[in-house]
Amino acid sequence: MKCSEVERILSEVLDGASSGTFPTDVDAHVKSCPDCSDLASDLKLIASEARQLAASEEPAPRVWLRIAAELRAEGLIRDSSIIDSSTRDSEPAFARPVIVPVPVPASPGWRWSALWLAPVAAAVLAAGAYVIGHKPAPQVAKLQVPPPAVASPAQVTQAAPVPAAPQQVAKKSVAPAGGNVNGAGNGNETGPAVEAAVEAEASTEDQQFLSVVSTLGPSTRATYENQLKAVNADIRETQAYVDRNPQDVDARQHLMDAYQQKALLYQIALDRIQ
Amino acid sequence: MARLQRARVQRTRIPHTSVQHTAVVSLVLASCLASSSAAFAESKKEYRFTVGPNAIISVDTQYGAISVKPGSGDQVLVTATLQSENVEVDQQQNGNRIEIASHLLQGANEQAGRVDYEVLIPPDATLNLHSSTGPLSAERLQGDLTLEGADAAVNVHDVENGRVHVRTMRGPITLTDIRNGHVEIASISGDIHLKSVTGPLVQASSGRGKIFYNGDFGSGGDYKFTTHAGDIEAVAPAEVSADFRAHSVLGRVHADFPLQAKHSRFPVEVGRSFIGTSGKASSAVVLRSFSGKIRLKQR
Repeated sequence: MKCSEVERILSEVLDGASSGTFPTDVDAHVKSCPDCSDLASDLKLIASEARQLAASEEPAPRVWLRIAAELRAEGLIRDSSIIDSSTRDSEPAFARPVIVPVPVPASPGWRWSALWLAPVAAAVLAAGAYVIGHKPAPQVAKLQVPPPAVASPAQVTQAAPVPAAPQQVAKKSVAPAGGNVNGAGNGNETGPAVEAAVEAEASTEDQQFLSVVSTLGPSTRATYENQLKAVNADIRETQAYVDRNPQDVDARQHLMDAYQQKALLYQIALDRIQ
Repeated sequence: MARLQRARVQRTRIPHTSVQHTAVVSLVLASCLASSSAAFAESKKEYRFTVGPNAIISVDTQYGAISVKPGSGDQVLVTATLQSENVEVDQQQNGNRIEIASHLLQGANEQAGRVDYEVLIPPDATLNLHSSTGPLSAERLQGDLTLEGADAAVNVHDVENGRVHVRTMRGPITLTDIRNGHVEIASISGDIHLKSVTGPLVQASSGRGKIFYNGDFGSGGDYKFTTHAGDIEAVAPAEVSADFRAHSVLGRVHADFPLQAKHSRFPVEVGRSFIGTSGKASSAVVLRSFSGKIRLKQR
């Protein structure tokens, strides 16, 4: 029996196995495979905790329905009736959702530890869009630059940690079009202190990124580190030029492109870790 | 006396010769054992699927090459060459969708975890390929193609009427003979080579890689090539029909091409940008770089 087959049926087997024992073929594989053994232990633990939880505080049925709808919308689960029509009769009220099988990573832990990369990649783009939109010099306004893609600085900071957009976040607190400046603190925290803090945050994000990438081996980490340095250098270089030439629409587009490069790097790393 | 000495020399040489023979025999045996064990470790597996029109086929491997060509009719044939027993192939068909994925087991590294795929698919199928190391190649297809890989070299050849999306970190990308394609290419530092690539949208960007285009820019297409530090070189025939706009913020820009001046809302800075038209200007070509050089040449 293969890992993929075991993982596909494990949750269902656990649901059905009131005694906590597996069928022989599953049991044999779980005993011989450390990954599946870990997964089975985790699922057993979750199942037992869930039973206790259900006994103490059962949320209202509509809560489950809303969660199921969200998961279904994201494609993480589907109704068991879709998978196996033979079981439909045994589910009189509504079809019970089943976890959609996904490609199995070498180590399941990696996927979870790397999930933060996705919002960070999106945040990089959001930061880039913010940069383009929130550098409004008077000449720029005449050139009909598109409005900011990110509605407010607060939203930027709340969405996810934003790597390598230090100067924009710092400056948005004094930008006239910035509106609400809650995201940057109380509005008085401008200047080098805030820039340093945000730069440190960006550096932390990069370090976190590299530590996740390290799981792929030292040479891979070195490769990603070099690429990350290059992309960050490009962002800094372009940012410096844009600061000197805020009316240069093309340079600002290049700044957005540089952020997109960084987002692409995060996405490629995420793909590899998954 | 001399004969005696020669005999002694010969006697002393005998063990030398035998040591050499033993070493040679051992080496031969060792190499035989190594090759036989390698042959034992490598295995081939074949998977066949029957699909309908416009099937969706995905192949995903962490390490290894993927090569895709058109097959016959409604058949999908996947031949996987596994380098060891530390990797297995998961395959799944859900209606018209086929997913093939390498599944690394514990202890699999880049060598042991490598799986090379040769895939034959219906030409109209949608194809998604992913390999970190590559290379990835697809040829003579007409469906939508997505090829992604960090270090993978990507080659797409003789493709028409589909979307071609390619993404790499530093792997070089080569597209040849793409007709009526919706082409989007992004790389962080890989070079991008486009030869005879035409379509309504051809977009390529690379941070530090170079972009080379050799073709006639078709008719009625949008061509956008962008780099941060990489150079851009476009070579087109004299009879090309396109509007050209090129700008490098910090790099040099040069056109060895007879372009007609054209009024534009974009300012022209000598040596940093040019704007002009050739022929009936049926396509729009934008070449942008932050610090790379841009050159437009006549073929």
